[in-house]
Amino acid sequence: MFDIGRIVMKIAGRDAGREAVIVDTIDSNYVLIDGNVRRKKCNVNHLEPSHKKIDIKKGAAHEEIAKKFEELGYGVWSTKPKQVGEKPVKVRKEKVEEPAEKKPKTAKKKIVKDAEVTSEKKAEPKKK
Amino acid sequence: MVGKALRSRSFRRIKVKVPGGRVVVSFRKRVPKLGSCHITGEKLKGVSRGFDYQVRNMSKSSKRPSRPYGGVLSSRAMRLLLKEKARRTFGE
Repeated sequence: MFDIGRIVMKIAGRDAGREAVIVDTIDSNYVLIDGNVRRKKCNVNHLEPSHKKIDIKKGAAHEEIAKKFEELGYGVWSTKPKQVGEKPVKVRKEKVEEPAEKKPKTAKKKIVKDAEVTSEKKAEPKKK
Repeated sequence: MVGKALRSRSFRRIKVKVPGGRVVVSFRKRVPKLGSCHITGEKLKGVSRGFDYQVRNMSKSSKRPSRPYGGVLSSRAMRLLLKEKARRTFGE
C-alpha cells in the first residue's frame, strides 16, 4: 500500500493534515516522505494513503516533487535559507575634545583670588 | 470575621501555622483546571497550566502542542478527524 509515488496525508505531528508523497521505503514500518511536508523518515501508522499515485523514481529530489505537486494543485513545503547577518562589532567611542570650554571654568576660581588683589589695587587709588 | 470578598468558594482554604503558634485559615486562589478533549474526553497533554500571570510570560510553543488542533483536541481525536478529511479530499 505504501509504495514509491503514493500520495498520502500526514495525520500526526506538526505537519498533520498536509499532503506528501512516498519517495523511498526504508523497511516495512518506515518510509521517506516529501512534498508539502518536511522531507523525513516517517512511520506508516502516521500516514493515510490515497488511491492517487505519481510517477517518480526512488529517492527523487525535492525540486522534482515540488513541480509535480504544483501541477496537482497541492502546496509545496519550502524553507527559507538562513541569512547570515553581520557580526556586531564593538566600536569604542572616540573622546570628544572640548577643553576650550572647560578652561574658563577653572580659570574663574583663580579669578576670585585675583579679584581680591584687584579690589585692593582699586581701593588704593581711592585712598589717595 | 473573614472579609466579604474571601467568603467565595472560588478560594481554597489552607491551614497555616503562624509564627505565634496559632493556626489560621489562609485563602488562596485555585489553580485553573486542565483542559480536556471534547471528543474523547481525555485530559490534554502538553498544555500549560497555571495562573494567568505565569502562563502569559511563556513562549507560544510551550503553551500547547504545535500540531493542528493542538491544545483543543487530543491527538487521537485529531487523527480521526484528519483520516476522515483525507478520505474526503482524496476520494474526489
